[in-house]
Amino acid sequence: MNGNKSQNGLFEKRMVMNETTTPAEYGRRGLGAWLLSCGLLIGSLGLATTSHAEMAEGFAEGSRPAPPSAEQVEAGKRVYFTKCVWCHGVEGAGDGPGADRLWPRPRNFNAGTFKIRHTASGELPLIDVDLFQTVTHGLPGSAMPSWEGILTEDQRRDVLAFVTTELVKDRSWQDTEFEEFHVLQLDKIQPVAPSAESIKRGSELVKEMKCIECHGVEGRGDGNAFNLKDDWGFSIQPADWHKCWNFRGSRQDAYNVKNIFRTFSTGVSGTPMPSFADNTTVEDRWHIANYVNHLCERDVDVDIAGGNVTDEIAAALLAAKPRGIDPLTDKPKVDFVVPSKFVEGELPADEHDERWKLVDRRIVAMGGQITHKPRNFVTRIDDVWVQSLYNETHISFMFRWDDRTKSVQQDSVDWEPYEVNLGDYGIEEQAPGGSKFADDPEHPESIAAKQTAYQVFNDGLAFQFPIKWQELPAPRKPRYFWGDEGFPVDIAKWTADGELKAYQGEGWDVDFEDRDDFTEELKTVKAEWKDGRWTVIITRPLKGDYEEDAYIELGKYIPINFFVWDGHNGDVGRKMAVSAFYYLVLEPPIEKETYIYPTLAAIGLVLVEGWILTRRANRRKGKV
Amino acid sequence: MKYRIYPPIPFSVRAIYGTVAACGIFMWVSGSQQEWEEFKRPIINVLDAKTGLTKFVRTALLILLPIGLWGFAYNSFLPSFDEPIELRTVHPAPPATTKVHGKTYVLQTAANPFRINTEGKYDQAYSNAHIVSQDMGRLMKDVKNPEDNPWDPNAKGYIKHVREGGEIFFQNCHFCHGDNLNGRGLWAFAFNPIPANFTDAGTIAQLQETFVFWRVAKGGIGLPGEGFPWASVMPPWEQHLTVDEIWKVIMFEYWHTGYYPRTWE
Repeated sequence: MNGNKSQNGLFEKRMVMNETTTPAEYGRRGLGAWLLSCGLLIGSLGLATTSHAEMAEGFAEGSRPAPPSAEQVEAGKRVYFTKCVWCHGVEGAGDGPGADRLWPRPRNFNAGTFKIRHTASGELPLIDVDLFQTVTHGLPGSAMPSWEGILTEDQRRDVLAFVTTELVKDRSWQDTEFEEFHVLQLDKIQPVAPSAESIKRGSELVKEMKCIECHGVEGRGDGNAFNLKDDWGFSIQPADWHKCWNFRGSRQDAYNVKNIFRTFSTGVSGTPMPSFADNTTVEDRWHIANYVNHLCERDVDVDIAGGNVTDEIAAALLAAKPRGIDPLTDKPKVDFVVPSKFVEGELPADEHDERWKLVDRRIVAMGGQITHKPRNFVTRIDDVWVQSLYNETHISFMFRWDDRTKSVQQDSVDWEPYEVNLGDYGIEEQAPGGSKFADDPEHPESIAAKQTAYQVFNDGLAFQFPIKWQELPAPRKPRYFWGDEGFPVDIAKWTADGELKAYQGEGWDVDFEDRDDFTEELKTVKAEWKDGRWTVIITRPLKGDYEEDAYIELGKYIPINFFVWDGHNGDVGRKMAVSAFYYLVLEPPIEKETYIYPTLAAIGLVLVEGWILTRRANRRKGKV
Repeated sequence: MKYRIYPPIPFSVRAIYGTVAACGIFMWVSGSQQEWEEFKRPIINVLDAKTGLTKFVRTALLILLPIGLWGFAYNSFLPSFDEPIELRTVHPAPPATTKVHGKTYVLQTAANPFRINTEGKYDQAYSNAHIVSQDMGRLMKDVKNPEDNPWDPNAKGYIKHVREGGEIFFQNCHFCHGDNLNGRGLWAFAFNPIPANFTDAGTIAQLQETFVFWRVAKGGIGLPGEGFPWASVMPPWEQHLTVDEIWKVIMFEYWHTGYYPRTWE
């Protein structure tokens, strides 16, 4: 199912393309009944009218781009062979030297299949709008970066001229017999404002339209994670709606609902994601877009109950505020301080405890471990949410992260849990390949094939503190990667087979030492994989043996690192995702002095004011 | 884009400037008896509260000042846990020599064996001639000339090694340093310190090629203490690449960014 419509080769009146950047200006005045049914503001471009029986609601005839000049193609070729060829390859077949360590792979231009478009399903994209925006903003969640500020606007247009004329080989924008352009009138369609009703309706529609079959009941991309293929046969995964900053078509504007409406209306060509333009009304598409948009992680974690959204849940989704996006990375801003708050009595027994609301959840950005072999070039877990609470004796961490699959190791392995040098057992990194596998998506050596065929290991999570961090000569720390000689670290590692162990690390290539005494003190309060998300709650004592276990003290900045393993990604040993240094801070309860001193100061000021006024009045009396 | 000044200005500096400015203003308004009276008049008027307006202002001030002071004092007593600021040296002093794959390189005299002219001699002027400009969107000179286009099947010598360096870069380095070599790769957001931006005039443009060779070969773990070797995820590339591959990738970085390595001349 990829929603291609049959091309019926309607007669097209050629138009000269003007310098536009919005799809709306391509619009033509249509006279179909569909115009009346949705609130289109009709542009003043009075052009030839067509009654296109097949055109879906919200679309209008677009114009054909003029062919570029030979000089422009030549200039674009220089851009391409400087900047693009390294991933997309000499022939544009998505087989440059970088391709084999990338997943998703770079686009193969030859067939003219492009994902992010304003044009109807199966049609070529608008060069000036769609492709230009792709080059300008990049495709988040893939290796395609934004080229704004790197290439001038002219250079970006030149390179598109080269790619669309020379590298797209199977189709042509100039083909008047087969190529039509029906453009989504995104700027003219009146959006349905987000409301609790709209969000709730959207949550019902994603079930009716069967979106959840691939995207999962909570939209974490866990519905059909391993059986989907793109047009070339490479494995592909459904989007995780909770990470809008990774949507390919987010255009560096992650929380913009229009991007979702567009993708939903035009489909993602070359992938199993169809266009829903023909079987949903414009209004319904806005409801779905509003729902998907509000699932994207915001300031509070709203439990959406397996997608069964009630009025209360919809209202909570609506009320949540978008997270700040860092303009440098187009990902959520990272705060390197993880706060922990004091609670009376027992620490929470599950994630529903109201007291988790006392403390901010922090996003920990994860990158592939690419420092030492085996390097992890494709990591599917790029963030972990962490919250922490503590009482008089213990500290509790709640980790939540999206993982499309629950992975528990089934086969026995030859190494012990404390061993770290698994190269001896054949755990290797992806070979550079040099685009060996470009024509063979099933090639067992390619990353794309491996994504569905790794030996399954345990999902896992670990965090480490320096042992005796109090004595570190500032700013010295142990190495981020399991410490170093002379600066050992206290590691707690949880794996999906139910193990939770305390280790001591003394270097990236030194086997862990078991800390059995402390292992008995660690407790997995909860570990549950549900609808594409792990929730793992771990408690540990604040204090153990000072010589071996990190003392967790109040009001201090305690260095902490995080590590995550995705078992279905073949992650084990050193193959995993890592974080930078964060700081855990146990915020002390507010002292009485905090209220007493300001009050005394304010009373003092009132007395001073009284004295000044009395003195002034007395002086004036004396003068009078 | 910049919501705050970085690095933050120390309180002592702000206090000095604030005090000097306050003294200056005070001297300015008290230049003569008449000016001083002029300056004091609104304050005295409010204190005396002879009109409705001044009475209102005086009452408001009397109430708001203690409240404001309370809030200010309360805020200063509240513990705040902002991220601690740790300043690291970005370009630490290089060692005299570095040993890579069993061979010792003297950083002052070592040279990139691939930066050669058509006669096979080390020639920086020759390789510099292939660089078009240093403005935005630096591109190769001529697609059709095998001496300019690394992808030309007939490319030889320097320009062919540039391509080989690029292949290594795009199989190993771009994950962090980015396709644009601007330090904004896929995982830049996860790491701290962030990957180096080679397009910035302050990185490879002001370093010798041998300095870059030392940094690439030894990675984060080989930094001296002031460079925070424990925090950097930069791999020690000697674990992954041969010496020749390291030289080639460095040459590619210079070609692609349009910069020349710094030299002693």
